[in-house]
Amino acid sequence: MANRVAIVGIGQTFHKSKRPDVNQAEMANEAVRAALTDAQLGSKDIEAVVSSNMEPFEGVYLPDHWMASEMAACGKSGFKVATGGTSGASAVVEAFHLIASGLASTSLVVGFQKHDTGDTQAGMTACMTPVFGSGATTGAISEFANQALVYMEKSGAKEEHAAMVRLKADRGACRNPYAQLKLGLKGVEEILSSGYLEWPIRILDFCPQTCGACALVLASEEIAGKITRKPVWIADTITVHQEPFRAGSFGDPTGLETYSQDVASTKLYKRNGITNPRKDIDMAEIYEPSTWEEMMHYEHYHFCDENEGWKLIEKGITAIEGEFPVNPSGGVLSTNPIGATPVIRVAEAALQIRGDAGEHQVTRDVKTAVATALGGCNWTTMILLRRSL
Amino acid sequence: MEKEPTQEYIQVKIDTPRPYRWSTGKYLGKLYKEARDRKKLVTNRCTKCKELVYPPQMVCGRCKVEAGQDWVEMSDKGTVVQYTYLIFPRWDPHRGEYYSSPYPSATVLLDSGLYLRSRLEEQDTKKLKRGMRVQAVWKEKGRGRGQDDIEYFRTIEELEVGK
Amino acid sequence: MAERVGIVAVAQTKYHPNRADVNEGELVYEAIKQVLDETGLVYADKGKGIDATITCSQDMWDGRTISNLGVMSYVGAHLADEDKVCEDSINALYCAMARILSGHHDIVLVAAHCKESQANKSIVENAAFDPIFLRLLGLDFLAAAAMQATRYMHRYGITAEQCAKVAVKNRGNAKNNPFAQESLNITIEDVLSSVTLASPIRLLDSKPISDGACAMILARESKAKKLASKPVWILGASNCYETHYPGYRELADCDALVKAARKAYSMAGITSPLRQIDVAEISEEYSYQELLWMEGLGLCQRGEAGKLIDAGVTKMGGQLPVNPCGGMLSGKPTVVAGMANVAEAVLQLRGEAGKRQVPKAKVALAHGVTGICGQHQAVIILGRN
Repeated sequence: MANRVAIVGIGQTFHKSKRPDVNQAEMANEAVRAALTDAQLGSKDIEAVVSSNMEPFEGVYLPDHWMASEMAACGKSGFKVATGGTSGASAVVEAFHLIASGLASTSLVVGFQKHDTGDTQAGMTACMTPVFGSGATTGAISEFANQALVYMEKSGAKEEHAAMVRLKADRGACRNPYAQLKLGLKGVEEILSSGYLEWPIRILDFCPQTCGACALVLASEEIAGKITRKPVWIADTITVHQEPFRAGSFGDPTGLETYSQDVASTKLYKRNGITNPRKDIDMAEIYEPSTWEEMMHYEHYHFCDENEGWKLIEKGITAIEGEFPVNPSGGVLSTNPIGATPVIRVAEAALQIRGDAGEHQVTRDVKTAVATALGGCNWTTMILLRRSL
Repeated sequence: MEKEPTQEYIQVKIDTPRPYRWSTGKYLGKLYKEARDRKKLVTNRCTKCKELVYPPQMVCGRCKVEAGQDWVEMSDKGTVVQYTYLIFPRWDPHRGEYYSSPYPSATVLLDSGLYLRSRLEEQDTKKLKRGMRVQAVWKEKGRGRGQDDIEYFRTIEELEVGK
Repeated sequence: MAERVGIVAVAQTKYHPNRADVNEGELVYEAIKQVLDETGLVYADKGKGIDATITCSQDMWDGRTISNLGVMSYVGAHLADEDKVCEDSINALYCAMARILSGHHDIVLVAAHCKESQANKSIVENAAFDPIFLRLLGLDFLAAAAMQATRYMHRYGITAEQCAKVAVKNRGNAKNNPFAQESLNITIEDVLSSVTLASPIRLLDSKPISDGACAMILARESKAKKLASKPVWILGASNCYETHYPGYRELADCDALVKAARKAYSMAGITSPLRQIDVAEISEEYSYQELLWMEGLGLCQRGEAGKLIDAGVTKMGGQLPVNPCGGMLSGKPTVVAGMANVAEAVLQLRGEAGKRQVPKAKVALAHGVTGICGQHQAVIILGRN
C-alpha cells in the first residue's frame, strides 16, 4: 500500500533580480532554513533531498554537490533533477515517489536559480541543437512572441487582455512579500504605453530573471501528523513531455498540434473525479512565462473553453477575489528563478490551502488546488493538492 | 550627516570557453552535407506517419518507431506564416557574438510542407507581412553548419501567371 | 508484502573512444532498441507498454541545456512521462524504483548516455568545483583523485603496486567482455612505468575517454515475471551525499559510501558482504578507487583493501570477483558507468555473462559514483530469488 505524502514545511527566499549579498549555496540555504523552521524540524530529521536547478545558467556542474551542506544533504540520500522549466516540479514528483514508496519518510525539495550569475538568454539558446541555427534560436522570447501572434488571431484576444493579466499579477505581487516585481501599476494604459521586447511581447508581458530559491518539506502520513496540524496532501501528479511543435518549440501556427497541457489535465482530472475544473478545484498556481501564455493555459488546462481564455481575465474571474483565482501570488510574471519556480507554484498553492498566504490569500476557501509547471519545449507537470484526502 | 558606509559585494568573474564537438550522427549529418555541398535542404519523411521529420532523425518522435530513410529534397521557397522582430541585442552562444537589433525572424512554410524558423533579409519591419513569398539565400562561404548555412530568407516577387 | 522491482531487460552499447558516427539520441537508441525488442514492449500507456522513462545525462557533458531534449524522440517522451536525473545513472535506477514501489507506475524505461569525446573533460569537471573558492585552483577530477589517492595511500599504507594490481586485473578481465572498449594484457611493471598523469596516478591507472549508452527496463514483480523468464530483483538500494569541500573531508574515508552501503545491505538482508555477495561491479575511474570503495562497501576493514587484492580475493575465481567486466578502467563513460554496472550484474545473475561469468552468482552488488572524490555514492544489491 503506497504511503500518502504531505507537504509539512514551506520556505522561500525574498526573490530579487540581483542577490549580490549571497552566493548560490547561501541563497538555497535561506529557503531550506525557512522550510525547516516552518516545519519545526532540524536537518537531522530529513532523510532525503531532491534538488532542482538548471546548471547552464550559473555555469556550475553538479550544483547540488556544491551545496550539499547548505541543503542539509550531507549524509542523506537524494539526487538532482533537471528538465528545463519543469525541473522544480520534477523534484516534487520524485520526492513524492521516494516517500510514497517508503524509501524515505521525510524529504526536502529544494529548487534554486541565481540568474544574476550568467547570461540567461544564452543559456536558453544552448538548448537547441546547433542545426536550428542562430536564425531560429532567439531564445524563449521569440517562441512566446510567435505564440502570442497565433493566439490573437485565433481567439480575438487583444493587447489589452495581456495588459490585464500583468495588472492582476502585479496586484498579487504587491501583496506577496516574497515576490520580486512589485511595480504598483495603476492600470492597463500604463502597460500599453510601455516598450516592446520582441513584438508583440512587451517587456511587461514577460517574466523577469530572478535570483531565488524555494524549499518544501515532504513527509509520509505517519510522520506528517506529528509535525503539523495543517498538512497539505499531494493527491496526484502527472508529467507529460512533448516533441517540439512541427513549426517551432512553443507556438503552433498550424492549429493541428496536441498540447501537453491538454493531455495532462484531461488525464489528471479524470483519475481524480474532476469534471468541472473551476468548481471542483478552488484555485490554481500556473507557470505562465508570458501574459499571453496565461490566457492560453486557461484553455489548455480546461479552466474554460477554447478561445475563451481572454474572457476569464476580462471578467475578473481569475482575480484574487474572483470565482477561480489563478496566481494570486503574482505568478511567474512577477518572479522566475527557473529551477525554483515550479516549487514556488506548489508552495503558494499549499499556502492557500493552509490559509497562510497572508495578504494574497484568496477569498474563496481553498480545499483543492493545482500547481503546474512548464518547461523544455512545452512540457507540462501538474500537481494536485488537497487539504484532506 | 554621515553617509552610511556602502557594502562592497565582491564577485568572482570567470569567463570559461567551453569547447564541444557535437557529432551530427547519420541523419543530421546528411542534412549538413547536402547544405554544405549542394546548398540543398533535405530531411526524411517518416515511413509510418508520412510527415516530414525535421531536423532529420532516426526515430520519428510522434510514432516512436524508426522513421526510415525516405529522404526528401525540399524546396527552399516558401511563405511567411508568422514573423516577429527582436528588439534587444542577443548573445548567440553557438557563434560567440551579439546580433544587432531589430532583427526579424520568421516561421516560413516551405513549399514542400515543412515549417522552418529562420531570419529574414528584410530589415524594415514595416515591410514585413504574413503571406510574403520568400526564398532562402545560402551563404557563399563558410557553410557546414546545417540550417545555419541559410543566411536568411529574401522576399521574392513572383510573376503572376498569365500576365 | 509490497511487490518487488525487477529488471527485465538490459542493454549496453560497446564502449568506444569516439563514436563520431552517431549523435546522443542515436547512441542511446542503440541500447533502447535492444531492450524494447527483447521484451516486445512499445511506447504506449494504458498498461500496454512503457509507463514512464527516466533519462540520465549531464548538460555540461552534452553541451546542451536540457540535455534530455537530445533523446526525447528516442525515449518515447512525446506526450508521455519523462524525467531526467543528473547524477550517475545508477541513481536514475533508484528514481525509477521509487516510481514503481510507490504504486504509480508498472513499467519504467531507464536510459543513460554520455559522449565524453565531445567535450573537454577537464573544463567540464573543473566546473564542479565551487566557483568562489575552489574553481580558480584549476582542479579537475583527476587532480582531486590524485590528492585522495595520496592521502589514502599515506594513511593506510596502500602501495602503488596494490593499485597497479587493480589495473592489471581489470584491464585483463576486459578481454572477456564484448562491450569493453579496450583490453590490455599488462603487468604491474607496465603500470608503474606508464607516464604519471598526476602523482601517484599513472596513465594505466586511469580510465580512458569513452562514449556509450545503457538502457534497461524495470517492472513491478507481477509484470516482471511475465516480461522476462529470468527477472532480476532489486533487493536493496540507497545513495548518499558527502560534504563538498575536500578540505573538510577525510579523503581516505568514504563516509557517503559507507552510509549508502549500510542502508542497501539492511534492505537486502546482507550482514556479511564478503560472504554473501557473489560478484561486485564497482565504478573505479582510477585504480586506487577500487580499493577505497571496497573498504567503504565493507568488504574488508578500513585500510585493508590492499591485503584483499594481494590475497587474490577479488580476481576471477577468487572469493568475490570484482569487475569481471573490466571496470571503468577498460572504458566506460562517466554518467553511464553505474547503470552499466547494474547491467553487468544482471547478466551475471542470469548466467548470461559468457566468458566473464562468475559461476553460480546469486547475489550481486553494483556501485555508482558521482562528483569530486566520490562525493555522491550509490549502491544497489540484486538477486535472482
